[in-house]
Amino acid sequence: MKTFLSFILKEAKHILRDKRTMLILFGMPVMLMLLFGFAITTDVKNVRTVVVTSFQSPQTQAAVERLAQSEYFTITQTVATPQEAERLIRNQKADMGLIPSPKGGGSDGLQWQIMVDGCDPNMAQQWTTYAQSILSQPIDAKHYTPPSPLEFPSPLGEGLGARSWLGVRLLYNPQMRSAYNFVPAIMGMLLMLICAMMTSISIVREKERGNMEVLLVSPVRPLMVIIAKAVPYLMLAFAILITILLMAHYVLAVPLAGSLFWILVVSTIYIILALSLGLLISNIAKTQLVALLLSAMVLLMPVVMLSGMMFPVESMPVVLQWVSAVVPPRYYIEAMRKLMIMGVGIGDVAKEVIILTVMTLLLLAVALKKFNVRLE
Amino acid sequence: MYAIEVKNVSKRYGAVQALDDVSFSVKKGEVFGLIGPDGAGKTTLYRILCTLLLPDAGSSFVDGFDVMSQMHEVRKRVGYMPGKFSLYQDLTVEENLKFFATLFGTTIDEGYDSIRAIYSQIERFKDRRAGALSGGMKQKLALSCALVHSPSVLFLDEPTTGVDPVSRKELWDMLLMLRERDITIMASTPYLDEVRRCDRVAFLHHGKMEGIGKPDVVLEQFRDIFMPEALPLHGSAEGGSPIISVSHLVKAFGSFHAVDDISFTVQKGEIFGFLGANGAGKTTAMHMLTGLNQPTSGTGTVVGYDISTEYEQIKKHIGYMSQKFSLYEDLTVAENIRLFAGIYGMKKKEVERKMDELLHQLKFEKHKNDLVGSLPLGWKQKLAFSVSIFHEPGVVFLDEPTGGVDPATRHQFWELIYETAQRGITVFVTTHYMDEAEYCDRISIMVDGKIKAIGTPEELKKEYHQPDIDGVFTLLARQATRSSD
Repeated sequence: MKTFLSFILKEAKHILRDKRTMLILFGMPVMLMLLFGFAITTDVKNVRTVVVTSFQSPQTQAAVERLAQSEYFTITQTVATPQEAERLIRNQKADMGLIPSPKGGGSDGLQWQIMVDGCDPNMAQQWTTYAQSILSQPIDAKHYTPPSPLEFPSPLGEGLGARSWLGVRLLYNPQMRSAYNFVPAIMGMLLMLICAMMTSISIVREKERGNMEVLLVSPVRPLMVIIAKAVPYLMLAFAILITILLMAHYVLAVPLAGSLFWILVVSTIYIILALSLGLLISNIAKTQLVALLLSAMVLLMPVVMLSGMMFPVESMPVVLQWVSAVVPPRYYIEAMRKLMIMGVGIGDVAKEVIILTVMTLLLLAVALKKFNVRLE
Repeated sequence: MYAIEVKNVSKRYGAVQALDDVSFSVKKGEVFGLIGPDGAGKTTLYRILCTLLLPDAGSSFVDGFDVMSQMHEVRKRVGYMPGKFSLYQDLTVEENLKFFATLFGTTIDEGYDSIRAIYSQIERFKDRRAGALSGGMKQKLALSCALVHSPSVLFLDEPTTGVDPVSRKELWDMLLMLRERDITIMASTPYLDEVRRCDRVAFLHHGKMEGIGKPDVVLEQFRDIFMPEALPLHGSAEGGSPIISVSHLVKAFGSFHAVDDISFTVQKGEIFGFLGANGAGKTTAMHMLTGLNQPTSGTGTVVGYDISTEYEQIKKHIGYMSQKFSLYEDLTVAENIRLFAGIYGMKKKEVERKMDELLHQLKFEKHKNDLVGSLPLGWKQKLAFSVSIFHEPGVVFLDEPTGGVDPATRHQFWELIYETAQRGITVFVTTHYMDEAEYCDRISIMVDGKIKAIGTPEELKKEYHQPDIDGVFTLLARQATRSSD
């Protein structure tokens, strides 16, 4: 036990004395959180809108006003013809054009044509949906406070039976904040990267320097060497996990709806899984560079592309869906979304947790089995 | 009972027969030397005896235990210092020792007696990071770490490579002291003076045990390899113009004067040996001469250019070869030559013509398109040297060019140096091999940043009443007061 402790202590000293690496390890989560939270956002805000005034009526006025009042759209210009509006969009001066025409079949006798810059189809889709919902508001309410566009009072409740539309209500994330989506994703990515990369590099470094030979020749059990090397990184991963959770809650205002206990338990399983992966990599890699490349390329790419972090798994080709079924972060991210954002109980993420646990046990078994007590 | 018994051990890596039917035994308390050139199979043998590798055939016993079936017993009883073992650079001296003590289930206090002689020398630096120690001190610390659990057998894989002669002597004094405590030692070394201090030695060559016995007997038996005929002394250069001339050169890092007021000149065509213990300031001085570093004060010229202002010109007119970097291993011989010739701006036609000439001279024609990585170390060194003088520089700087090869290969290397000097290229060389120092026209010995002695080897031996340069060097280097070594 004493040997074990002194081993952990030595490993911790390695980590603590390498100031630059520490800085990156803690700087990276903070940076990523801030970037995704404030800079890279998929939320709709301040869409530059140009209104065509070829046809005007009090109704169009009211609708445009409503649009301008919302924080989603900014009316930057009014032009006389649709051609001019199109030119503005083509010249990157505006993102969206609104063209009212009188022959519509709606209750207010209006029909709107929306012209959108479709370079980013996802964003274009969102703008259109937002604009549609605002424009199709019942006109009667003169002093109408703009609602969240997708959360309308049911038309029946308003007693405006003349129109039929779909009322959409967003659960869990009423403001459509993208932070809700990416915080679990960042957790999944970073924990995997840090645990797998750091353990594999630190083990391979000992090999490279010839220290592993000495450690192996000592009476200490090789298994203990490996576990002792993993423990400080386990703690480091926890520190990072907590940093992310704190930032998510206090800086990005993401609710921790579910039980913190279960969030930590599932994270622990996931961290152990990542550590086993790192161990496996260290068995294959002969140099630190190879270890780095293996963990960065082989782990990071599938995590980003296939875990559902950026692209929904459901819309992938079937073959890729199969591949993504063995990407562990997929289940972790899924479980975290459910636990953190939806606040469901552990019973509802049982499937994900079981899959993660099985994967962890499997990887750990393979990694320990493959670990060499001799060289080669 | 024998401490080490090896019976018909063979080991093969792919096409390479690393060990071929090796058998020998070592008595308890013996200091057993393992000698042979790089790639002879020494490291493989160590690893098999330390249970790190399984032999393909044969059996071996360490302290009476089978290295194949009784791994744990063997691992409790051996101390092992691999060649590239480098401690933990970011832990302090004491932390390193403490860690290895607990690793072997003991403490520094318990094991202190076994390491007292060695550790007491470095104990005053116990709070210093291992990475900041000099080569000699690192080896002492590594040895302390390997000894702290009082092993009964100690395996040392070239423990003194890259360590200066004074520290080497001290290290071996300590090893011989261990013999009194009945610790069996198996060590390998490229240095003949160390070979002679062993009780018995075995000569390993291409994986085969070629000879075993008293050091002098084995060295005599393989005289061609270990003690090649002394080179005829190179005719001292005629008193032509000085090609390197330095006066009152100082390089200070803060208050520490790495190079402290040195002055000397080197004549054209001379072979100048630049000696000094680790940390004496050799490398810093070389860096200033080659334009890599600016002097704090003092002046100097190299091939007629000022070292403080015209270092770009200097770089074009000198050659440089160091032990650490020689050639790109993943390029072929021809590609390496073309690359370096290109760096110095040689014409393509001229490169091809000179390359053929060079390869012919080195008898390398067949290997023109071989990867450098696949060549033996001695060949690489010769090739690296030839490449460094390929552009006909005025001076070539060689920084410990012959580490890790056997005396015969070093001898061939020096023949190459002599030819170069004959062609009028000045050779400025540092080395830890004192027999090589004897081959130089003139040598200087640096101690604590100052040049303590300069002159021909004969002059110095007379002046200090020593039989050889080794004696002169040890005498001077022992006066060093610098704490870094």
